[in-house]
Amino acid sequence: MTTPVSGTCPFVYDEIRDFLNLEARLLDQRRFDEWNALFTPEGMYWVPLADQQVDPVNHLSLVYEDAMMREVRINRLRHDRAWSQQPRSRTAHSVSCIVIEARDPDEGRVVVGSSFMMNEWRSFGLRTLAGLYTHDLLLSEDGYRIAQKRVDLIDSEGVFEPIEVFI
Amino acid sequence: MTQAAVPVVDIDGLVRDDEVHRDCYVSPAVFDLEMERIFGQAWVYVGHDSQIPEAGDYWTTLIGRESVVMTRDKKGDVHVLYNRCPHKGARIAPEGCGHVKGLFRCPYHAWTFNMDGKLRGVPYREGYEGTAFDIEDPRFSMRKVGRVANYRGFVFASLAEEGTSFESFIAGVKSSLDNFCDRAPNGTVSVAGGVFRVMQRSNWKVFFENLNDTGHPIATHESSYRAARQYSNEKLGGEMPFQLHIIDGNGAPPKFWSDLDLHAFDHGHSYMTAIFKAPDDPLSQAYFQSLAEAKGEEAAKQILSVNRHNTIIYPSCSPHTSFQQWRVIRPISPNRTLVEIFTFRLDGAPEELLQRTFIYSNVVNSPSSIVMTDDVHVYAECQKGLETQGGDWVSQHRNAGQDQPFDGADGGIIGVGSSELPIRNQFRAWHQYMSESERPGDGDAGS
Repeated sequence: MTTPVSGTCPFVYDEIRDFLNLEARLLDQRRFDEWNALFTPEGMYWVPLADQQVDPVNHLSLVYEDAMMREVRINRLRHDRAWSQQPRSRTAHSVSCIVIEARDPDEGRVVVGSSFMMNEWRSFGLRTLAGLYTHDLLLSEDGYRIAQKRVDLIDSEGVFEPIEVFI
Repeated sequence: MTQAAVPVVDIDGLVRDDEVHRDCYVSPAVFDLEMERIFGQAWVYVGHDSQIPEAGDYWTTLIGRESVVMTRDKKGDVHVLYNRCPHKGARIAPEGCGHVKGLFRCPYHAWTFNMDGKLRGVPYREGYEGTAFDIEDPRFSMRKVGRVANYRGFVFASLAEEGTSFESFIAGVKSSLDNFCDRAPNGTVSVAGGVFRVMQRSNWKVFFENLNDTGHPIATHESSYRAARQYSNEKLGGEMPFQLHIIDGNGAPPKFWSDLDLHAFDHGHSYMTAIFKAPDDPLSQAYFQSLAEAKGEEAAKQILSVNRHNTIIYPSCSPHTSFQQWRVIRPISPNRTLVEIFTFRLDGAPEELLQRTFIYSNVVNSPSSIVMTDDVHVYAECQKGLETQGGDWVSQHRNAGQDQPFDGADGGIIGVGSSELPIRNQFRAWHQYMSESERPGDGDAGS
């Protein structure tokens, strides 16, 4: 896993890039438990519904899940009678345009923006979801941990077929 | 006189008392006829007037295939107009909710219209002198739909200028609309939090049939209620927080569902008694206090005793009165249906209650719902199966012939919770709408 931050900009950037790539890799390989373990205990996974949505509590979101709801989603994805996962979703994420938007070395906190594309194949065919990630990361003894992963889909207010896996 | 060639559809041959022909779901000719005879006649939900609170506000949506726009004028009146410029035909209002400063302006040639659709001005006025153009002639204004009804903020419209009155149409399930609003301390509700939009690869009737179908949850939703129970058992010692409780409910045993009541009414409407008991946590108590202060304790108890799961207002929407959800059903083609899900604030209630409404919607109605995804999948499987030649008839036999007239409030017909009464009832209305000579009357349900 990642080593503690050195304080020099290029080094931190490389670590963060590696972390985002690892996170995407875990999702694409359906290593959901390892993925879920990347979050802090209070960490949230948030897919806003509105463009530039500021509030996940006083407004609908496409997803706003804590550790419990993420784990229930994972349990379901593995269930033999998850009908809509026959065949199961297969995904390939691409993460790019990684930008450090803010950092607080004293608290070991860094906010990272990036662009992503997720291709997904499932029973109804192939589709692409795309948008912007904003990772709120905290440095711990075990490396980076996700305090919040925000996924702003470019078509968040559009029409969707069901979204089952993590974006 | 020649008539346009319309494929002949034998309506009487498609519907029996306890089964229907697969053409009802897959035939393009049947779908075309539905657009004309059902969505061209029935009262269709357009939107809620809280979506357009100010003069100049608009909300665009569909009635059948017709693009329409709901507007608010300076006097505060609500209008429903065809979203079409009388000049070249361009749609005037863009998709969704928006606001214009007092008048619509067509993006093509800048014809302007009042919010009631009346043509206000055209450029190059002198060029129309001596022509048949007349700014006062209604054919040069945006056309209004046939009829509009606004009941406690819920706006319905009929494309037809004549037909069943809204009062008669809504009679059976009016109590659900009333309860939806009466639950608010102020007596009014307002749309809040945005709208979910889900596309289903299935016929619009498949979704309606599922709404009061108690036979499917234990089978279709097994993966999600098992997942919730697994978490509860492994991590919480069997405790069920609100979100897990909602998901777990689908795993209730058959007797639970049979013991519910299903009520069916004229015009295809129905409702089901609630599957969730009213919660009794501190938030619910604070909410009860706010309702009791506004209406008195007895009245508040009475209002909350009306505890229903989905109400069906055929053929366009389904309110959930207990958790302030409102689903809108828009047929797109024989095998595509758009469902829009709105959530409502109970005006005057604690703000945290709205947060719980959002949590419920996020779990059950979001495109990412781990519950709904199996529904949507099964609907698509039904559609694919019905497109095969594996059989022509779709069964609606469960508890057929056992439904009884109901003597209590709202009247109509009552069936046990496991009955397919609501589906048979929808097809009674469907048959009436679709039979040209028989428009849905004002008589008893099922007559």
